[in-house]
Amino acid sequence: MNQASGGREADDARPARQSVIYDSGTIKVVVLACLTIVLAVMITGGMSYFITRNAVVDKLKSRDIVYIIESISAKIDGRIARAQETALILAADPAINDWVTGAEQDEKLGKYSKTKINNIAKNYDYANTFIVSAITNHYWAEDSKMLQVMSRTDPNAKWFYDMLASGKSVELNLDYNSGRQDTYVFLNALMGDRKRPVGVTGVGLSLKDIAQEFQRYKFGPNSRLWLVDDNGEINLSDNLNDNGRYLTELVPTQVAVRVIEDRQAGTVSPQISEYVNDNGETIDLAYKVMKSTNWKLVAQIPRSESIAILSNIKLYTIISSIIALVLMIFIFYVVSRRIADPLKRALLLTREMEKQVTERTRELAEKNQKIVDSIEYAKRIQEAILAKEEEIGAVLGNYFILWKPRDVVGGDFYWIRRIDDERSLVALIDCTGHGVPGALMTMTVNAILNQIVDHNHSEPADILTELNRRMKETLHRNDHGQITDDGLDIGICRIERNKRVLFAGAKMSLYIHRKNNVEMIQGDKWSIGYRSSRNDLAFTNYEWEIQAGDCFYLTTDGYIDQNGGDKDYPFGRKRLLQVILAQKTKDMGQQAAAFGDILHQYMGNEPQRDDITLLGFSLH
Amino acid sequence: MKTKSTPEVQFDRQKQRLRIEGQSYPENAFKFYEPVFSWLNDYLTDSEEGASLEIHINMPYINTSSSKCVMMILERLEEAHQNGQKIAVRWYYDVENETAKECAEEFKEDLTMPFELLPVEEEK
Repeated sequence: MNQASGGREADDARPARQSVIYDSGTIKVVVLACLTIVLAVMITGGMSYFITRNAVVDKLKSRDIVYIIESISAKIDGRIARAQETALILAADPAINDWVTGAEQDEKLGKYSKTKINNIAKNYDYANTFIVSAITNHYWAEDSKMLQVMSRTDPNAKWFYDMLASGKSVELNLDYNSGRQDTYVFLNALMGDRKRPVGVTGVGLSLKDIAQEFQRYKFGPNSRLWLVDDNGEINLSDNLNDNGRYLTELVPTQVAVRVIEDRQAGTVSPQISEYVNDNGETIDLAYKVMKSTNWKLVAQIPRSESIAILSNIKLYTIISSIIALVLMIFIFYVVSRRIADPLKRALLLTREMEKQVTERTRELAEKNQKIVDSIEYAKRIQEAILAKEEEIGAVLGNYFILWKPRDVVGGDFYWIRRIDDERSLVALIDCTGHGVPGALMTMTVNAILNQIVDHNHSEPADILTELNRRMKETLHRNDHGQITDDGLDIGICRIERNKRVLFAGAKMSLYIHRKNNVEMIQGDKWSIGYRSSRNDLAFTNYEWEIQAGDCFYLTTDGYIDQNGGDKDYPFGRKRLLQVILAQKTKDMGQQAAAFGDILHQYMGNEPQRDDITLLGFSLH
Repeated sequence: MKTKSTPEVQFDRQKQRLRIEGQSYPENAFKFYEPVFSWLNDYLTDSEEGASLEIHINMPYINTSSSKCVMMILERLEEAHQNGQKIAVRWYYDVENETAKECAEEFKEDLTMPFELLPVEEEK
């Protein structure tokens, strides 16, 4: 029955194993690993971005802006220097000098002079070329036109008289034309003696194209280039709207003032500064004093534009991070699958095996159940040969029987037979073996005992002798050198009307409790039915006159041999005698309980070793 | 080899010693002792005359069928003794274990070969 319930437990355990393959632990590891990869990639990407950004900003400030401002200032300076040379060449031209000195009378020289300035304007891309006579006050421009006659009262002609008075061979003059939204740089040169010049000649050039050229260097639409004069007025800008405005309007005052007042600024290399504007944008500002003028070239570049290139880097960093991430996750997934696969297979195999084990267990449980059922049924048959309670009671008066086969059925049994009104037989038999082999023996012994009594044997010793003979005959008739050897121990009493007990035993004793003493009537020391038992074994009859209060006990060796106690030794005969002594005042029911309890206590957790049968009776 | 229900059996040909130690109540005692019996039989039959054998036994419990087998072994030894072979049995038992002592005494009873009963204070 135990095994049957064990089978059910195995069935119950099955559904719990189903989910083993979809282990949440694996998923956790995968998620954790992915998060780690994401974090690593983000850190790497972020770091490389910031490193790049710093490098870019550093390069921008130390090189790019410097390069831009230097190259533009060099261009402007170059243009101005060339214009200055041109102006000086014109001023030194003897034909022009002669023409002006001659009050522009000589037509030949006039033609030459006009053609000259016209060609210079046309071929060298000057906005203006001019010759102004200090004698006639005539202003000759390119295209052979006399535009005006200079007058000291005309404020627009003031530059002319200033120039004549300056005594410098060449001078630069700025003219910002608000109508044309352009700044013209005029290089004026004195003709003739510096102290008494005959006129002024020169070229005017527009810097608009240079300002436009700045577009090429710009990082974005909000970068600005300004040419600022001593007062902070913007004379040239790439953005026309800025022309004529003041620097203070366009950059924070503090910054503007610093730029304007710094006279030495960047004579060798440009000054670089940065500030944060009202919108919170970081702006880089570079400025440099021009070689040819006192003006400063100022370049303003918002950081967001200068490092706009970084947005590409940022984008590529993100894209490459994502690609790396996807790749790593994919590889990780593939690898973990590879790792997980054998595990999965192992788990599947385990489950398959578990299924088989469960199946086998179930089969075993079934077979076991069949065996158990069969033995349970055998028990009913074995119990059928045991005497009924009324029958025993009628013969023994007060009695108890402890019948405890080790394995449902066993080799122990008790037997009762009434011979006549006066006499009855009672026997306790311990066949070799227990379980089914023992039980088979008991059936045989029972049958033979009955036969013996049927054949009018009634003396215990005689019965044992006869039993020995017949058992040997029955059990060993087909022995062909087999080593099996079976037999039995038996104690048998003939009870004669409660006066006398006649006892014979084959390796079994009768214990009699009288007053404070236990008498042990030892049976003969040979067993019955074994091959070694002689055919003509003679047993001894012992006589016992019954007194009131006598208690008789027969026991198979299962009780005495049961192991237990501290040293796991057999219970022992001495202990049995003590127990019998202790039962003096108890009735048979109490005694049965006591014998059972004492043995149970002694056994502790040890299993029952043999079949146990104990018969006690008092005959009163 | 020693289990709860079977003893440990050691047969040392060199030292000419057979040692049986432990409880004996196997389900099928004959099956268990058959090889022991045949080793012993072979040894006693094969060995030259005068060969000796010392048997050490310490068995706290022997069930009925095992005792039949032990008896067979002892009888075979007795036979060898009768044939002039040098046999000595040393049977150890714990003083607290009266069953073992009784059992050994029963075995000893009909034997003429040297059979020593040796009480020990503690089980080995």
